[in-house]
Amino acid sequence: MTEIAGKLFSWLNTRLPIVNTFERHLSKHPVPSKVNFWYLFGALAAVTLIIQIVTGIWLIMPYSNTEEQAFSSIEYIMRDVDYGWVIRYMHTTGASLFFAVVYLHMFRGLLYGSYQKPKELVWIFGCTIYLAMMAEGFLGYVLPYGQMSYWGAQVIISLFGAIPYIGESLELWVRGDYYISGITVSRFFALHVVALPLVLIALVFLHLVALHEVGAGNPEGVDIEEFLDDDGVPLDSVPFFPYKVLNALVAIGVFMTVFSIIMFFFPEGGGYFIEMANFEEANPLVTPDHIAPVWYYAPFYTMLRAIPDPLGGLIVMAAGVAIFFIVPWLDRSKVASIRYKGIYSKIAITLFGVSFLTLGYLGTVGVTEVRKTMSVVCTVIYFAYFLLMPIYTKYETTKEVPDRL
Amino acid sequence: MNFFKLEINLIFKFVALTVTLFFSSISHSAEGGPCKDYGECDVFKYSLNDIESLQRGAATYINYCYGCHSLKYSRWGRVASDLQIPEDIFFENLVFDKSIKPGDLMTGSMPEEESAKWFGVAPPDLTLVSRYKGDDWIYSYLRAYYEDASKQYGVNNLVYPGTAMPNVLMALQGNQRLVCKDIPVLAKNGGEKRDDQGNTITKEKCGFLEVEEGTGALNKEEFDSLIYDLTNFLVYVGEPIKATRERIGWYVVFYFLIFTALSSLLYREFHKDYNMKKGKA
Repeated sequence: MTEIAGKLFSWLNTRLPIVNTFERHLSKHPVPSKVNFWYLFGALAAVTLIIQIVTGIWLIMPYSNTEEQAFSSIEYIMRDVDYGWVIRYMHTTGASLFFAVVYLHMFRGLLYGSYQKPKELVWIFGCTIYLAMMAEGFLGYVLPYGQMSYWGAQVIISLFGAIPYIGESLELWVRGDYYISGITVSRFFALHVVALPLVLIALVFLHLVALHEVGAGNPEGVDIEEFLDDDGVPLDSVPFFPYKVLNALVAIGVFMTVFSIIMFFFPEGGGYFIEMANFEEANPLVTPDHIAPVWYYAPFYTMLRAIPDPLGGLIVMAAGVAIFFIVPWLDRSKVASIRYKGIYSKIAITLFGVSFLTLGYLGTVGVTEVRKTMSVVCTVIYFAYFLLMPIYTKYETTKEVPDRL
Repeated sequence: MNFFKLEINLIFKFVALTVTLFFSSISHSAEGGPCKDYGECDVFKYSLNDIESLQRGAATYINYCYGCHSLKYSRWGRVASDLQIPEDIFFENLVFDKSIKPGDLMTGSMPEEESAKWFGVAPPDLTLVSRYKGDDWIYSYLRAYYEDASKQYGVNNLVYPGTAMPNVLMALQGNQRLVCKDIPVLAKNGGEKRDDQGNTITKEKCGFLEVEEGTGALNKEEFDSLIYDLTNFLVYVGEPIKATRERIGWYVVFYFLIFTALSSLLYREFHKDYNMKKGKA
């Protein structure tokens, strides 16, 4: 029996690089031996992506992408489909936690310079994943066709109208109709379930291939490739499988505990994960009192609102996302990790974090005079963090980075 | 855990600054609450395991509300079985249209166009009202009607000023009015202010709801408890699986806690092994 299995395996292995791939990317893939909790969010993002894909497939089965039935098919899933509510809440909770995990993952990158040479491409693929996620999340939010789906989509699609010359035709082309309708829902459905998931999976693959080519970083910013043992394996490394996999498994346990607490006890996340107004079917004749995006878009929505001119707001908002792409060339520091950077970098990243969180908060509440001023101030701080980076990282005194982890 | 220190320091600064900024922006908020003129909504605590409350709520809903407000995403048979009402008793007493089968949706009986003519707006479907308005809102709204001769049905509502719905439950509640009362003036330390003779100083304040005695079939406690049951039922019908979800949730959370514990033990075991090997080499 084992003989046959062995033969079959070697038959396969001579035709498919099974052992090679396993060794190269798992059992012999060296990763830094000492990292901290910030380095676990990448794995958690992968877990969430899988949850979204699997629950998504099951949601497609009973969902109806027509104007008449989109909303009621969601209630059908929640009430009449066996365990439909589990699948649906996993998908809604997963969406929010996907963003939460990815934001932490990105912040880790900024903290420890995970974009520095030679990791520029890993970073850029990551930024593109984030961009694709934003589109994916927006398209998905329209599908239940509640009030917030409708009016949120109305606000976002009308942004295209702010583009000079082609704006209005572009808006019409995206919407597929003169107002948001079943046509919009069905095309968003196609993009949400086929087009963007394909893009996301391809990008995640590239993100990982590029990462495995240059090697994972560590919170010290030490290059572990400098000290190798006799076999050419970095001294400060452990094989990815099983050590990092087990480490990730613990993180997944903690993450899934949090995930299930939210999903089973607070699925609406206090109105931040599923907005209350979205339990009302889309009604083109009634505008909700207060149109707020879901929390994960809120920081950028605040930037949009901070600028009185629609085109200006659109440019600032787009720049807010786009600026992440050029971070590898903005950081002129000799060191990668915040631990060895100077005081300016530490102040800058703290202010950046605070302004990002405040922008997020401001995006979910109504506008007052004080809040308007605050959104402008925070938007300025947000951009200053990036635009002044070449200066403060170059002219600050950094600490000596040790040789070994 | 040396390498956490720096980050923890950073995080502390973060939190401190964010909290101050948050509070400064919250204190400047000028938005009215969801309960409008009523002030803060009354807090409602659902109890979905109180089947009797849900049964009473369902009966009140079907007798007083269902004539105008459908529950079109909910099915008759599901309500009967979730509320543990035997189907024959349920259909005999609560389903008035005898052609209805247990699998049918509770689509209501009022034609939408006609009702829009009668009330100005068609009465909305209420299956999900507890989810888009909130249970606190419903509980406050149904108890905040008051006499107002200037309105079409002679009543207005503090929670929803200008509401198109008449006070359907008036025969039970009685005639509620807005009254003015003499309220003790409070000193800065929270105590009541008194004059030289030791009498409490009062000031007239208006906007209090008071039921004219003897006009309703129920007293205040009975009426409040009727509305409690009704709101509880609407919470149930907004998400019939809610009670089950919360029950299953404990098991799932428990499972993942065990999972975390076991995987961290496994992780530790592998690391011990690895460190030993490294030490030998």
